[in-house]
Amino acid sequence: MTLKAILLGAAAGIITFAAPVAEADTSDKRIALSNNYAGNSWRQAMLESWQKNGDQAVTDGVVAAADAFTTSENQATEQAAQIQNMILQGYDAIVINAASPTAINGAVKAACDAGITVVSFDGIVQEPCAWRIAVDFQQMGREQVKYLAERYPDGGNLLEIRGLAGVFVDDEISAGIHDEVTNTNFEIVGSVHGDWAQDVAQKAVAGILPSLPEIVGVVTQGGDGYGAAQAIGATDRPMPTIVMGNRQDELQWWADEQAANGYETTSLSIAPGVSTLAFWVAQQILDGQDVPKDLTVPFLKVTQDDLVDALKTTPKGSVANVEYTQDQAKDVIAAAK
Amino acid sequence: MNDTRPNPIRAVLQKPWLWAYLAAGLTFAATSLIAGSGAGSLFYAALTFASFSAIVGIGQMLVITLGPGNIDLSIPATMTLAATLALKFMDTQTALILPGLLVAIGVGIGCGVVNFLLILLLRIPPIIATLSASFLYQSLAIWSNRGLRIKPPEPLADFATGGALGIPNVAVVGIALAICAWLLLERAIAGRWISAIGQNLRAARLSGVPVNAVRFGIYVNSAICAALTGFLLASFSGGANLNMGTEYMLMSIAVVVIGGSSIGGGNSNVPGIWGAALFMFLIVSMLNSYGLGAGIRLILTGLVIVGVVTLASRKGYDA
Repeated sequence: MTLKAILLGAAAGIITFAAPVAEADTSDKRIALSNNYAGNSWRQAMLESWQKNGDQAVTDGVVAAADAFTTSENQATEQAAQIQNMILQGYDAIVINAASPTAINGAVKAACDAGITVVSFDGIVQEPCAWRIAVDFQQMGREQVKYLAERYPDGGNLLEIRGLAGVFVDDEISAGIHDEVTNTNFEIVGSVHGDWAQDVAQKAVAGILPSLPEIVGVVTQGGDGYGAAQAIGATDRPMPTIVMGNRQDELQWWADEQAANGYETTSLSIAPGVSTLAFWVAQQILDGQDVPKDLTVPFLKVTQDDLVDALKTTPKGSVANVEYTQDQAKDVIAAAK
Repeated sequence: MNDTRPNPIRAVLQKPWLWAYLAAGLTFAATSLIAGSGAGSLFYAALTFASFSAIVGIGQMLVITLGPGNIDLSIPATMTLAATLALKFMDTQTALILPGLLVAIGVGIGCGVVNFLLILLLRIPPIIATLSASFLYQSLAIWSNRGLRIKPPEPLADFATGGALGIPNVAVVGIALAICAWLLLERAIAGRWISAIGQNLRAARLSGVPVNAVRFGIYVNSAICAALTGFLLASFSGGANLNMGTEYMLMSIAVVVIGGSSIGGGNSNVPGIWGAALFMFLIVSMLNSYGLGAGIRLILTGLVIVGVVTLASRKGYDA
């Protein structure tokens, strides 16, 4: 710790005094967010949560700074350069949503070597010196099928909407779905790529629908449920149970259908506020707490019972969100031990 | 093109747009084998989604016709910006639909003017100018609404998703624009100017073609087409997304090339745009319907595109 602090001080060109080993005061610590992409509503909400939570933490004197930086091109090389800059600027911790699990390992290693705490979340990095707050994507797929199996114990046909082809997240969620389907009476009769975007999903679903038999459920990956509903609504098919992904337009559509004909479904996703969880984990590490390297993000679920409340708190056009507190971060850490 | 009267069948066979329609027809037939009675709704869906590709494709085609190096890479960002600002302006109010459309078109004109100024005044190659300008537009879109999806006014959404006599409304718009573009290219002097510039810029300038005025019009037109597509697409899909334009970058170029226009400029082909747009939608539907994995789907799409382009440009453009 002492050596790291000196190295860090040297790197930043400022003199810092070595902090006590445990229960360190983090009020002079500076945390940076390195974010690879900002081009959708989820990421925008994520940045907003970070800012809100970070500003409050600075006002409360918990940390000295909580700055957010986003690369313009969603490219690993650019993010690596950004992290190098952060090292030079002398941040005490860097929280990363990474463009690639492997391609920025070099920059992450350099940051660790400079004594900087690196916490990756959502888009995690594989470099062992960094902490990882990962999403259990397979579980996300399984939960959807489990819900549908409860609704339709006799099974039936399912349509699967996948994400962006070739991305790790897409493979994982899909693997979870297919794995769980083998335990049920369901059959997946069609699979399209919706690229996690409502308009792309709408187009893909409209294209495959004419060749599908009747379907009872649609499993999704988030950001594609409303598009599926639009595409199916444009035909004279009965509306299947579409698992939603917490987007406000999805929740609104669900509430409208609920009012009109008692439509029921469920919705789950990762809250964009997971950036605040990463913030508090970084703060806890700087505080000298013993934090396991691998943590798991809890899902944010919206069920039929809390649909109305979720709609009230979700801004129009955004995504259902929750910001994590220091205590919740401590709970997540304790659960991983 | 100036050989002595070929027989009519040969003449049709030599049309570069033939192959796009042939490919679209074959993929439609293959998908219908599975779809059965759903073929009608497949055709309706194809017309709907092809409209968006066709409208951006028309704008892009005219730009590409201007000759080597001319391309508009700001189409996705222009779509996003126009849709975001227009939907934010309308704020779901029915009375503001027409002003909202004007906002979208205004954004298109603005983006087109900026593109052209970068190209002409700063002498930046179009590929760089439009790409860098698109960062500006995309950032404006992010900044203006933080990625929140605002719903379109009800009647506008009904129009965009509706149709009459088995033809979707958006397809009517797309076909009308295609006819305008065809008239412009084949029947108006401006169309001759566009082709002349694409075939030989120097010769065109020396023969008195108002080169810069034509280029200005074409770039602005491309941005307006993109803005209009953004407006329609957002109305169709229930709101503007920050990444709603992404797939239209390559799509706009693909429909031009598959449609039989020369990528080197100087020779454009309006009917082919629609054939190619239908084909691009149907091929994905076909491969999805046959349940092929994403990898195979992408490979086959690539191979088929190469095949169609090869056939369409078989005789070359040595005119």
